Amino acid sequence: MKIKQTENNTFDAIVVGSGISGGWAAKELTEGGLKTLVLERGRKVEHIADYTTAFKQPWEFKHRGHLSNKEVEEQPIQSSHCDATNKHFFVKDVEHPYVQVNPFKWIRGYQVGGRSLIWGRQSYRLSNLDFEANKKDGHGVDWPIRYEDLEKWYDYVEEYVGISGSKEDLPHLPDGVFLPPIPMNAIEKHLKEAVSENYSDRVLINGRVANLTQPKKGRGPCQYRNLCSRGCPFGGYFSSNSSTLLDAHETGNLTLRADSVVKEVLYDEETKKAIGVVIIDALSKEEISFYAKIIFLNASAIATAAILLNSVSSSFLNGLGNSSLQVGHNLMDHIVNEGTYGTFEGLKDKYYEGRSPGTIYVPRFQNLNNETENVDFVRGYGIQGKGERENWQAKATVGIGVDLKEQLSTPGEWKIALGGRGETLPNYDNKIYLDDENKDQWGLPLVKVDFEYGPNELAMMDHMTKSSEEMLSKAGFKNVGSYRTSPAPGSAVHEMGTARMGNNPKTSVLNKHNQMHDVKNVFITDGSFMTSSGSQNPSLTYMAVTARACQYAINQFKSNLL
Amino acid sequence: MNRRTVLKGILGITGIGLASFSGYKYIVGSLNNKGQLKAYIDLISELVDVIIPTTSGAPGAKLAQVQDYVIFYMEDCSSNKEYNNFLNGLNDLQENCLDVYGNNFENCTTDQKMELLKDLDNDSSSKGLLSKISNKLRGRSFFNILKTLTVEGYCTSEIGATKHLEYLPVPGRYKAITELSANQKAWATR
Repeated sequence: MKIKQTENNTFDAIVVGSGISGGWAAKELTEGGLKTLVLERGRKVEHIADYTTAFKQPWEFKHRGHLSNKEVEEQPIQSSHCDATNKHFFVKDVEHPYVQVNPFKWIRGYQVGGRSLIWGRQSYRLSNLDFEANKKDGHGVDWPIRYEDLEKWYDYVEEYVGISGSKEDLPHLPDGVFLPPIPMNAIEKHLKEAVSENYSDRVLINGRVANLTQPKKGRGPCQYRNLCSRGCPFGGYFSSNSSTLLDAHETGNLTLRADSVVKEVLYDEETKKAIGVVIIDALSKEEISFYAKIIFLNASAIATAAILLNSVSSSFLNGLGNSSLQVGHNLMDHIVNEGTYGTFEGLKDKYYEGRSPGTIYVPRFQNLNNETENVDFVRGYGIQGKGERENWQAKATVGIGVDLKEQLSTPGEWKIALGGRGETLPNYDNKIYLDDENKDQWGLPLVKVDFEYGPNELAMMDHMTKSSEEMLSKAGFKNVGSYRTSPAPGSAVHEMGTARMGNNPKTSVLNKHNQMHDVKNVFITDGSFMTSSGSQNPSLTYMAVTARACQYAINQFKSNLL
Repeated sequence: MNRRTVLKGILGITGIGLASFSGYKYIVGSLNNKGQLKAYIDLISELVDVIIPTTSGAPGAKLAQVQDYVIFYMEDCSSNKEYNNFLNGLNDLQENCLDVYGNNFENCTTDQKMELLKDLDNDSSSKGLLSKISNKLRGRSFFNILKTLTVEGYCTSEIGATKHLEYLPVPGRYKAITELSANQKAWATR
């Protein structure tokens, strides 16, 4: 198929995906003066106007929070992560099937803004403890960058995004450019103090979240409704829709095309460069080609790898830029446990007003140095949590009638729930690949996901559960218990690593600028690039890396090097 | 009054077919029997209102339309197993009511209604391992389902959330630590 390049279908840059990293690529490239086409496979979602449930009251949902059986049938996988109030920002699995070789939840939001509308908003920097980990213990390959390469880019994106947090001076969790933190309530403060008293190896800090405790450029501040995943009509948290895409649009350099499923990246054998992409219009199913000098892939780790694997040419029989045969491999997701909980009998005279969208956080405290070395596993985990006074949603009630009614309106016991998030090791056997036999409704091969946690992750999960229980018990909590299981892999919704960065083109896909070793004008800055997973929630790193790679790409473009 | 006549009367009014009626049909297993609960709306309204009655502070579950939510949930969201447990439970209760009080539930006195539901509540309140296994195997019991849905439906209703609980749709600020005031009600949402 050869379609003529015309002014209408030719851009300086194409960005595939409009989620958290695609939004950043759009903003940076357009602000750098590049005419940029952003392709989004899902539907349009306008900031505010399309947050259809944002102002709905609890009683306006026919089934309250519950999904109906019919809805669960349409969203058998997504349904563990969504409810009646936000289900429209999660795909219908029946329309977008994939193959689970082993159980793996692929949680997706196919729409303009992607999963930036529904993300957890936790924002933590990686440190050199993370960037040097592979080199030190031999798992995976060495990162081609260090914290120093990224530091100013973290500053840059944090300043724009608006991260509320507290300065803590922890070498393994660098401080950032913070708005005032979301304060801790009485029980969270109690636990913080108890952790300080009982442990010298760890601290409990305010979670760092992309919720605005002060207004920023027409957005926010947060109204403390804690309904973020419906889309925020106040712009109280960061999403592509509320910020990056609007700023990209303002430059006049942005063309955003929704309902555009990318089929493949086109490669020119003579120039040895990518020249554009072929899309399938999601609705009309028509194939259309777009051309550009620079391609950014920000479709999310699994989808980006699938696009590369489906982009076959005589130079790249195994998929574009895949001479290393690493594309699709080294898939990672954070290991999480289902959680630990405990109740507290005191502090009955304290309450709160407003609903915090934030958390508390115990940053990693294992394997930081010799004193904290753990022989059962390498790397580490952090623990997130939240404290509250039970209301009817959590309370165990007794009886019926007036007594019961009274119990429902009385503030209940304080309780805290904790959940660990642990690092997953890069492992070649954890992978995605294309199904040669089964196709989706656009004729594209289905993705197969083959992923299993290894002994290191499982040992870590056991430890995070026990240490969470111990922290609560030592702090005087009662009824301390845990669900001693981990939900299916994918549940952290942090899939990453499928086109890793590295110094060696034989063992990695991207160089230190997020350029493909094999195809210099293709950049990948979604979770695919992650050489190791760290234990921190990764979105902030995707954003910083995207901004950094965009600056490099713009300079190269302007010097006619791409 | 003859028990069977009364039963026929109730079921007739509420639209249950009696063609093959020889006592009600006890459903077992997980076949789909959905679509029947609308006919029980009067009974369900009375039940939810005994569980959460009107008090001086706020109207009860019936005025909060909790019966509608119970039916929507059971018809659209429940498993067949639990739906059947629920339907059987309603029929059981009505039968029991006629046996003991010679009246259908709706026409019993407040004390009688309370008595009946307290018995069911005690039976279903077991939190032991056996009851967990039974819940998993057979689905939650009739009363467990009824009470859970009544509490949820009421606390998320406009009346429940705004009159019985404290509901702030747009707090606008977060005061992380406040002193609990004397008559402070629990927050409706979190």
